[in-house]
Amino acid sequence: MPEPAMDPKVDHAFLDNLITQYRHKPGALLAILESAQDHHPRKYLTKETLEYIGKEIGVSRSQIYNVVTFYSFFNLTPQGDHSITICRGTACHARGSKKILDFVKNMLQLQETNSGYADKLCLTTPDNRFTVRTVACFGQCALAPVVSVDERIYGYMTCRKIREIIEKLDREPVEPVPLFI
Amino acid sequence: MGGHRLPACDPQTKKLDNNMSKEFTIRINGRDIPAQEGETVLDVARRSDIYIPALCHLKGLSPVGACRLCLVEVKGVSRLVPSCTTYVHEGLDVITDSEGIQKCRMVILQLLFSERNHTCSVCVSNGHCELQAIAENLGMNYVRYPYRFPALKVDASHEKYAIDHNRCVLCTRCVRVCKEVEGAHTLEIIGRGVHSLVLADLDGLWGESQTCTGCGKCVQVCPTGALFEKGKAVGQMKKRNEFLPYLMSMRSLNR
Ligand code: SF4
Ligand code: SF4
Ligand code: FES
Ligand code: FES
Repeated sequence: MPEPAMDPKVDHAFLDNLITQYRHKPGALLAILESAQDHHPRKYLTKETLEYIGKEIGVSRSQIYNVVTFYSFFNLTPQGDHSITICRGTACHARGSKKILDFVKNMLQLQETNSGYADKLCLTTPDNRFTVRTVACFGQCALAPVVSVDERIYGYMTCRKIREIIEKLDREPVEPVPLFI
Repeated sequence: MGGHRLPACDPQTKKLDNNMSKEFTIRINGRDIPAQEGETVLDVARRSDIYIPALCHLKGLSPVGACRLCLVEVKGVSRLVPSCTTYVHEGLDVITDSEGIQKCRMVILQLLFSERNHTCSVCVSNGHCELQAIAENLGMNYVRYPYRFPALKVDASHEKYAIDHNRCVLCTRCVRVCKEVEGAHTLEIIGRGVHSLVLADLDGLWGESQTCTGCGKCVQVCPTGALFEKGKAVGQMKKRNEFLPYLMSMRSLNR
């Protein structure tokens, strides 16, 4: 069931706790952002969260946005229940990862829009079931082409194999994700 | 890669570690020139009327070495180094205009032009643009790379100023003056690589920024026509950045 497009509120208690924990430590901003993203049921950073963090630790909004748009690790849009990451590195490209990417996009009916500023592709289905992303190299080139599904690495990927994996995931019951934290 | 190491400097002040200001001579293009500890090669060259093109450097702002137009050769160092971030030390021997350097600068310059939409004839800064001036100085008469022609927006939401991303060279002068001098830190580079843009706050419209004080410092330090005052027609946007060295020296007196 598609969720209404609404920004969940900021979990102030969680963020306050996080900020006290990291305050005055070097690299605090990155650590705080990482935990805040992980805490969100949709694994992303809302604008409200970014503003709140900035205000509390005394970093300008522009600086925070600079950081979160630089690292492709940070998500600024809600992520799907399952994430499919397709390697677009040289070795995987040479062994046909483009075909797999096109196949998956086609299968999930994802249109390539100019999504945000990240260099990398990151597309989520409207029903929030799947997020498809690309990376530059997993460091597993011997297994090329490599695809990771929900943090599990699969080597020697083919269109047929990825279709089976996606179909199996799609048959699983949908666990409700809380709209508000 | 042998060669000698450049001396360590304090990353905050970009000054050499000891505070005694030593004087010595360095060599630029075979000429002996007196120099002081804490100066950069670019400082010394400018003082001695030796032309080195520079785009991201501006006196009064922290050096970042972003544009790479000011590359020079240093004897004993096998790669070219940016003169705006290379601090002088005794015995330094620099070449600023070898054929290799000229070639390298030309490549960088042409890449800058091919990256965005620099149509000088309709630009507010035509005739007063630092990028244009460097191209003239280096004798650029063609661009050998295909233009990217990115479709970029103009944000004219600010009451007094506008930013045209088509003409931005990502030198970050505006970012630095806003952060270091005005203290507002409204503008930042958002995104990465070719997708980088100078944007206000959390990717909002400049006019809706809650941090911008409207001081206009960013507009005055911008080397191109990317940042401009509204109401200026083609060729009318002359930048006034002389305020910066004055402001900085007054601040250091009051310290
Ligand atoms: S007008 Fe002043 S405060 Fe506003 S963005 Fe420019 S430098 Fe920053
Ligand atoms: S807007 Fe102007 S000052 Fe700012 S990065 Fe672009 S070219 Fe440089
Ligand atoms: S290129 Fe795909 S794992 Fe290295
Ligand atoms: S002026 Fe030195 S790198 Fe830009």
